[in-house]
Amino acid sequence: MPPAHPSTAHEVDVRGPRFAAWVTSAVLAFALLTGSGALVALQAAVFAVGALAGLRYAPYGVLFRVLVAPRLGPVREREPEAPPRFAQLVGLVFAVVGAAGYLSGAPLVGAVATGLALVAALLNAATGFCLGCELYLTVRRARPARTA
Amino acid sequence: MDPIGAGALGVALALTAVGTWWLRRRDGAVRGADGERERAATAVLEALGVRPGDADLTVVQFSTAFCGPCRATRARLRQLQATRPGLAHVDVDAVSHLEAVRELGVRRTPTLFYLDRAGRLLGRSSGAPRSDELTALVEEHVAPAGARDGRQV
Repeated sequence: MPPAHPSTAHEVDVRGPRFAAWVTSAVLAFALLTGSGALVALQAAVFAVGALAGLRYAPYGVLFRVLVAPRLGPVREREPEAPPRFAQLVGLVFAVVGAAGYLSGAPLVGAVATGLALVAALLNAATGFCLGCELYLTVRRARPARTA
Repeated sequence: MDPIGAGALGVALALTAVGTWWLRRRDGAVRGADGERERAATAVLEALGVRPGDADLTVVQFSTAFCGPCRATRARLRQLQATRPGLAHVDVDAVSHLEAVRELGVRRTPTLFYLDRAGRLLGRSSGAPRSDELTALVEEHVAPAGARDGRQV
């Protein structure tokens, strides 16, 4: 039986993912300016933790809970974990391609993939819009129907 | 500084600016429906089991599991239903109805379709609906609780 009020188990403070998106944007912008494949790989690892282990273990989420949240007011709004967690998975795919591009001597591939991840992170940070989440339906739509 | 990366950063910032502008302009805004597609849309929605004849205004919401604003949209509609019993809300899982999703041109979630009692498509919107537009649409088409015959002119 699921709990009567599934309020905390799979929900997060909405400000957490927004904060994480700002940090991600800063990291990816700095990685682009320096052409650092290692930094993109590090961001890929951060995405991987959030996507695979869950947002409560996501490094920027931990940073938010420990350093930022105590300085802000109480939680005003919570959201389900699934959408931002899925977005981390989409971010992971782009960051892996970006890091692989840079580290294998294809800086254009690295820059394009990293740039796309940056657009998604910045849009999320600035407006709350989740590009990764929207891609879910886009991908499912594009694939031919598996079974009726 | 890496020139390729700096170029990519510039393009990324420009794309983000365009995206933000587009979202401000379009996200959640109700668009009207033109005649030809309107009838097709109603037929597709009725095939999904939507019965516009049962309510003054039927809002059909396409959602996915990975959709932040879907839950807030659902909550907002439930809240409106409390004072407007003539408002019906149908939630459709987009991924289990991909055929309809393609036919209706649903690209994002939540996408909402607004049908009047006659089954006419009044409009559609994508993204969390704008509160003022949604309220105006509901007030225009749905009588408040307690009104006679559920209709008020």
